[in-house]
Amino acid sequence: MVNSNANALGILFPNSYDSLVPELVGERLMASIPFAGRYRMVDFMLSSMVNCGIDNVSLIVRKNYHSLMDHLGSGREWDLTRKNGGLNIVPPFAEKTVKVYNGRVEALSSILDFLKDQKQQYVVMADTNIAVNFDFNSMISEHIESGADVSIAYAKEEIPVSARQATSPNRGLYYTLRVEEGDVKEIYINPKDEGIQNFSMNIYVVGREFLIQQIHDAFVKGYSYFERDIVAPQLGKLNVHGFLYDGYLARISDMKSYFDENMKLLDNTNLDALFDPSPIYTKIRDDNPTRYILGAKVKNVMAADGCVIEGEVENSVLFRGVKIAKGAKVKNCVLMQDTVVEEGASAEYLITDKNVKITSGKEVKGTDTFPVYVAKYQVV
Amino acid sequence: MAKEMIAMLLAGGQGSRLYALTQKLAKPAVPFGGKYRIIDFPLSNCVNSGIDTVGILTQYQPLVLNEYIGNGQPWDLDRLYGGVHVLPPYQQASGSDWYKGTANAIYQNISFIERYNPQYVIILSGDQICKQDYSDFLKFHKEKGAEFSVAVMEVPWDEASRFGLMVADENDKITEFQEKPKNPKSNLASMGIYIFNWDILKKYLIEDEADENSENDFGNNIIPNLLRDGRNMYAYHFDGYWKDVGTISSLWEANMEVLDPEHSGINLFDENWKIYSRNSGMTGHKISCDAVVENSMITDGCRIEGTVKHSILFAGVKVEPGAVVEDAVVMGGTTIKAGAEVKHCIIAENVVIGANAVVGAMPTDTEKGVATVGSGIYIGDNAKIGPNAMVNNNVKGGEEQW
Repeated sequence: MVNSNANALGILFPNSYDSLVPELVGERLMASIPFAGRYRMVDFMLSSMVNCGIDNVSLIVRKNYHSLMDHLGSGREWDLTRKNGGLNIVPPFAEKTVKVYNGRVEALSSILDFLKDQKQQYVVMADTNIAVNFDFNSMISEHIESGADVSIAYAKEEIPVSARQATSPNRGLYYTLRVEEGDVKEIYINPKDEGIQNFSMNIYVVGREFLIQQIHDAFVKGYSYFERDIVAPQLGKLNVHGFLYDGYLARISDMKSYFDENMKLLDNTNLDALFDPSPIYTKIRDDNPTRYILGAKVKNVMAADGCVIEGEVENSVLFRGVKIAKGAKVKNCVLMQDTVVEEGASAEYLITDKNVKITSGKEVKGTDTFPVYVAKYQVV
Repeated sequence: MAKEMIAMLLAGGQGSRLYALTQKLAKPAVPFGGKYRIIDFPLSNCVNSGIDTVGILTQYQPLVLNEYIGNGQPWDLDRLYGGVHVLPPYQQASGSDWYKGTANAIYQNISFIERYNPQYVIILSGDQICKQDYSDFLKFHKEKGAEFSVAVMEVPWDEASRFGLMVADENDKITEFQEKPKNPKSNLASMGIYIFNWDILKKYLIEDEADENSENDFGNNIIPNLLRDGRNMYAYHFDGYWKDVGTISSLWEANMEVLDPEHSGINLFDENWKIYSRNSGMTGHKISCDAVVENSMITDGCRIEGTVKHSILFAGVKVEPGAVVEDAVVMGGTTIKAGAEVKHCIIAENVVIGANAVVGAMPTDTEKGVATVGSGIYIGDNAKIGPNAMVNNNVKGGEEQW
């Protein structure tokens, strides 16, 4: 049989790191956070997988997943409406004795039977808090060549300040690696080091059989976290490979980084780096093109379709269907879908969620270090 | 299960008056309004009116159109029973034939229509920009007890002789049909959109096919025959926006009217009557620090670093620094290099306009031409394209074409 597909299935964890941006996940989860004008965070990992021929993708959701279901539908936009494989959303299985899962181990153990039935030799796993155009194929080949049991993708990054300063353990776990000649020698959990680190992207390649075995053993022992409880303690025993990713990535680690990563895409170099390697798919909304009415002044703006702009906009990212009325001024803002800025209103350093309205004449200002967030459907 | 009404969309037109734009594609596939193709309008009208079965009759350069329509999913026309079907001429046991005329095209697909056993068939044309509720038209047809209805527009009397005209009485019953008459008796122009009772249409198609002298055309043969037999024929008045975009200047004009929905009447921003299209899938458009954008429509994938005024840019158009685009329709994937001037013109898909080249000119009292550059053409640096030019071949750097 001709096989253009990768010999791997994909698993995404759409709720990972929800706790980093509590405002944005009020009524959604990390995976469905709008990003870069017309996308949701999940689009990047999902499209990357599809572009690498991974057409069997499961999303193990935990809570607040209505918006994600709505976004993904049958998976058609990602070409994942398949007879074999395709898109598979796994909701938590409600049983009195079983709590909703916490770590990856519990999540994966809930689909162990599914995993046993699949044909692909490898499993790739990822979170959705990183927007990246990732080449899973080169990671899979490196995994095979190195003969590793587990491969972890990492990037040369600084640990976000908010993570370093965090005192509460509720922000979730993050990992840095000590890598020697491709081998991961040490995994540091929630380190506070400054400067560039080998920051784990939480993207893994593992053999499917191996994963099933490990998850089975770990679940029996009551373990929760794949990295902390399976990989880290067994570093001496297992062959763990580090895959260095040196391309563009946008990591959401708090509100500030959400704002900054959107803004960074106003630079064409960054925009191309994220979108040029291969297409990123998303739900189609059938908006008309964006209309710039006479009198509009626009400078350094990225905008999706469906916007109507009559006022002034500078250094901003506009999502689909944003309306900026005559005399309104918008500067350094990230305005999500269908935000309306009425006549004479002014907005600076603002993140508005969906369907926000800034009424006529109002002035709303954040600062460059602390952008103000306006929640969904709020009227200012 | 029978369908109440199915649509047959005539999309075989060569659109020869669009010259350079229809060298490689059929007229209904010509891009329009920033992210649409002409055929999106009748298809979206069908879906918005509740029609879920559409046969598209193709003949001329169908490749782009076939690929564009695909399984019909963007218009929600991928259905288990019905949906959209592209119907090119095909070989039958009795022989094969190109579609000889509009009526013959339907005649050759009688068996397609019969699969759905419809009560009514609406005949649509694939070269008009129009938002129309066909269910309202059908309601009219039923209320009048008509066997045939035609949608008509009132046109100015002095232009009436350019159209096929319906003469109707005070009850909208058609008494006479005049094809481009010297002395018009009516100003009700046929829009080329008909509703037939299927049994009547079938009868007249078979009769028309048997007539060796017939041109197998709705306007020239079928409608006169219906009149001859005193059938119940009614004229349905439509007064919304309607534009036949069969010429370069009307296509340019219709695009420009999109920029002024408040006055022109074509509103693409209507949540209740969306126009669907196959999506480019490109990322949001980007307007740089030094760019100037005024009174324009811009869609996904565009990168604007120059000046864009009163223009429509399709997906993925690049305007480099210092370039000026004014009163222009620039179709998908085209790049306008630094310092180029592109004015009052239509640039087709995937064109490259070289640095400092000049294409078209703003109209003057004597010169109102819309320069046109065909798809995939390369215009060299410093080249000059006059306002009446129709560019079909690459133009080398520094050369001129008028």
